[in-house]
Amino acid sequence: MNPSVASRTLRTVGAWVVVGIFFFPIYYWTSVAFKHGNAIFSRPPNLFNFTPTFDNFQKVFGISFGTGGVTVTPGGGNFYMAPRIWDSIVVATLSTLLAVVVATLAAYALSRIKFRGRHEFVNWVLSTRMMPPVAVAVPMFFIYKQFGLIDTFTGMVLIHGLMNLPLAVLLMKSFFDDIPVEIDESAIVDGASRFMIFRRIVLPMAKGGIAATAVLCFIFSWTEFLFALTLTTTSLKTVPVVSSTFVTSIGTAWGNMAALGAASIIPAFIFILLVQKHLVRGLTMGSLKQ
Amino acid sequence: MKDSIRKAYLASVTDRFVKGQMDRCSFLRAAGTLGLGAGALGMGLGARPFYGISRAQAQDQELKPNADVMKWLGDVGKPFAGTTLRLATESTPPSNAIATQLKPFFEQATGIKIEIEVLPLEQVLQKLTLDVASSLGTYDLYYIDQSWAANFSQDVFDPREQLKNTELAMPNYNIDDFLKPLVDGIAVYKDAMVGVPYDIPIFIMQYRKDIWDELKLPAPTTMEDLLNASKAITDAKGPTVYGTSGQMKSGHYSLECDWTAWLWGHGGSIFDADGKFCGNDEPGLAAMAYWDKLKATMPPGVDGWTWDGEGQSVAQGVAASMLSWGEFFPFFDDPKASKVSGLMEAIVPPKPTTTLRTVKETAFGEIPGVGHQGGSSLAVSKYSKAPDAAWVFMQWATCADTQALITVLGGGTGPTRKSVYDDPRVKANARVGAGTTRHLPVVRDTIANYMGSEPDLPAWAEISSDTIPVALGKYFAGQSGSAKETMDALKIQVDAIVAKG
Amino acid sequence: MRVAQVKRFVVSDHPLPWLLPLVAILLVFTVYPLIYNIWLSFHEYVPRKRALEYVGTQNWVQLWNDARFWQSLTITFIYFAVALAFELVLGMAIALLLDNDGFGFGFLRGVLTMTLVIPPAIAGMMFLLMQDPQFGVISYFLQWIGLLDPARPILATASTALAGVLLPEIWQWTPFMVLIFLAGLRALPREPYEAAMIDGASSLQIFRRITLPMMAKVIAIAVLIRGIDLFRVFDYVFVMTSGGPGTSTYTLSLYAWQQTFSFVKWGYGATLSLVTLAIILAVASLFIKVAKVRW
Repeated sequence: MNPSVASRTLRTVGAWVVVGIFFFPIYYWTSVAFKHGNAIFSRPPNLFNFTPTFDNFQKVFGISFGTGGVTVTPGGGNFYMAPRIWDSIVVATLSTLLAVVVATLAAYALSRIKFRGRHEFVNWVLSTRMMPPVAVAVPMFFIYKQFGLIDTFTGMVLIHGLMNLPLAVLLMKSFFDDIPVEIDESAIVDGASRFMIFRRIVLPMAKGGIAATAVLCFIFSWTEFLFALTLTTTSLKTVPVVSSTFVTSIGTAWGNMAALGAASIIPAFIFILLVQKHLVRGLTMGSLKQ
Repeated sequence: MKDSIRKAYLASVTDRFVKGQMDRCSFLRAAGTLGLGAGALGMGLGARPFYGISRAQAQDQELKPNADVMKWLGDVGKPFAGTTLRLATESTPPSNAIATQLKPFFEQATGIKIEIEVLPLEQVLQKLTLDVASSLGTYDLYYIDQSWAANFSQDVFDPREQLKNTELAMPNYNIDDFLKPLVDGIAVYKDAMVGVPYDIPIFIMQYRKDIWDELKLPAPTTMEDLLNASKAITDAKGPTVYGTSGQMKSGHYSLECDWTAWLWGHGGSIFDADGKFCGNDEPGLAAMAYWDKLKATMPPGVDGWTWDGEGQSVAQGVAASMLSWGEFFPFFDDPKASKVSGLMEAIVPPKPTTTLRTVKETAFGEIPGVGHQGGSSLAVSKYSKAPDAAWVFMQWATCADTQALITVLGGGTGPTRKSVYDDPRVKANARVGAGTTRHLPVVRDTIANYMGSEPDLPAWAEISSDTIPVALGKYFAGQSGSAKETMDALKIQVDAIVAKG
Repeated sequence: MRVAQVKRFVVSDHPLPWLLPLVAILLVFTVYPLIYNIWLSFHEYVPRKRALEYVGTQNWVQLWNDARFWQSLTITFIYFAVALAFELVLGMAIALLLDNDGFGFGFLRGVLTMTLVIPPAIAGMMFLLMQDPQFGVISYFLQWIGLLDPARPILATASTALAGVLLPEIWQWTPFMVLIFLAGLRALPREPYEAAMIDGASSLQIFRRITLPMMAKVIAIAVLIRGIDLFRVFDYVFVMTSGGPGTSTYTLSLYAWQQTFSFVKWGYGATLSLVTLAIILAVASLFIKVAKVRW
């Protein structure tokens, strides 16, 4: 057999196996969402042989699939979670917007304008990411309380935007670094101002980078736990925090939690798909091919 | 027809109906013969979606709050319309029942909005501590676990004082209706009442009657019985089925709860009369020896479980018994969630091996008793911006009528009021099936006669949720020498923390 | 300044207008908390009086003598090192594997990224369930192949608990590294590869001599970003073990959280956070110097 066909097949098989292994927990979790409490806990573990049920999804989303309406579980059912997914989406989207806009402006300057202390400034921006979240959460709680920002979209968007800023700045700077300075310089010769160059010329070229940065910011906001836990009480809750609600005094409602978890993969995944085209191309941090 | 026969017949008839072996008309006729109105039946049907019967039917019948209560709410609550009240609570049956089904009644009658934040127990403590430390009034009502009563006693109103305000007092609220042992064990700290008892998870002995009968074992009424039976079951049926289970997760409060049951049950106590830790004395070490033997008969996962895993191990038929929260019992009877529906039996906790220590021999209000109680109280925060509205809600949430509804809707959770145990709606649910209340007589008996309560002191939250379970966890993980060495080291730690005050 | 001057300033070469929003936000949200925490570390909260009291350097002294702090530090370091090693090596290997335009590879790359969109708090619960000693898939599998003793559950045994917590970590973040490395690989110029092929170099040699050096900058940044986050790890431990069994999975962040929120020792919690910050700063700066990361 042609050695390269053999090695290609091996590679393909290997790739599928590896991704399969990584995908398995997601499959398992989704299957838990479709099981009754009984079937989730079986020995040996039951991966394929169970009767699926929509009960868990019904409880979590409060909609009936025609098998009897919203029902009460032994511990009571406080599992109506659909609004939480919306909360998460709003916070993630707006905070991504904030982070990307501020970061892009700053990153352009850091890339193009050689001012004294530039290296140290970037180091400083990076170092702000090093703060343990606990250390930020406590003072923020008090400030937020003072300004009435607890439990508000504004509050959460701000804190998540901030959280993502250092990374966004770093990423956008390297994308801008990849765009040759000569382009800027030739435009300057033509008499354009910095801002115009930025807006008209460089920005469109960095679309891929913006997409990549946006995706990462969205993911980090979507999955963030500590700030969401500390800075919200009842009106606003994001998906990660609300998953704790499934831990009741008589046991964890795994089925319902899995239903929420499985459903919440979808919005984030859609977001990724939308920008996927730019994603891999845009994550380039090495040199662009000419 | 004799009362007991009538009850048995009703149970079997309900059972047949539920299993689809009888149609609705025949069922109602049979029930009518038994002298029970459709109303009482509605209670039994209401809590579960038995094979297609929707909950809506139950609501037509009497699963609604008492009309007088609703009227009072309207009169007293309407002035506060538009207020929003916040409560952070553990996901226990009463809170869940209120949050999902009963809240709308309240909100409709008064125009006050209720927002309930449901969290795991540790997070409730964290949020409350933060709220109190900063006097921010984020929450209007507090859900206070009995082990935190000492910490928060200064931050809430004493309901006896609140009741003096006759304008807002609910007629027939009857604060004396709360079971006295519960009031003392949960809601009192140094003569101040820290709210009213709200829920009462308490240790009762729950075991698989079918397995006990199969192996012809005597019911586990003493510690020795339990150990012997457990050993026999594990020997005969292990590793598929083990004799008993535990909630021994290292570093978790649940481990401390288990420890107290065995400690008190061997005549020991946490503190001696001088307020010094004495878990390392002779009875304490006897308890540890017993526990070691018992643990050998438990499923291997026991070191990683809280009551959650313990309940699951019994529900899935892996463990044949557990001395743990009565709240689990209805869960065991639910055929959709457990494999042992109808097979479980509840009795009072095993008798201690020797005489229990008395309150005089312990400190900080510690009451030894094998039936460890983990109840909580509900109280109005002193920092609340709307304390009067909160008081109205609190009365409603803890009145007899609401509690009866909670018990029926919330899956047979233990009431804290005498009258609720005798409420016909609650009694009608005493059959096999999800939401059963057939274990409640045992719960009531345990509360009255066998209850054990933890000490109340400010440092207790830390000691019980961290110091003790971490030390015990290390011991069971083999990381800290013998039981004596562990207990001696623990004594030094606990005494130091108590001394700091 | 007058309007015309302002306009010229804004469109000039001065970096300030560009950086202003960034600096403003960072000042409020990071510099202020930093100062607050430093101030806090010299105080402690007294529950009885419901107030903060000045305690001088007591917290710092206590920290130095606190065995549990040093243990947390060790545990965090081990977590950091093991996770990073796995994620780097696996990430690179899988990136090389998937760097192909063959049929379905795009799909595979997409599926791989799904692990990233699951909140770590939920991923932790997933793996908690899967490692359940009685009903968990992973436990069952490991017992079946004889690697796991049923009497010593993964998360309940001190020696293996950290491994149990590392599982979701590695599972979730290796794809992150894969993404970054893939992008880096795709941007590499073709010529050196073509030259090497003509010279008849083996795959291993190509990787070591060509790919690796050219990817150096990307690897450095990946290490930096992931490394910083690993040191601050909180979600998995919080959800899965709460630091147990005993104290075998107590990371620094968890310890600081517990002191601050469970025991209201704000001063001590702040001290712990500051020390964590200092350590991360030190290690990161060292890395930037040694790896010659240049912005």
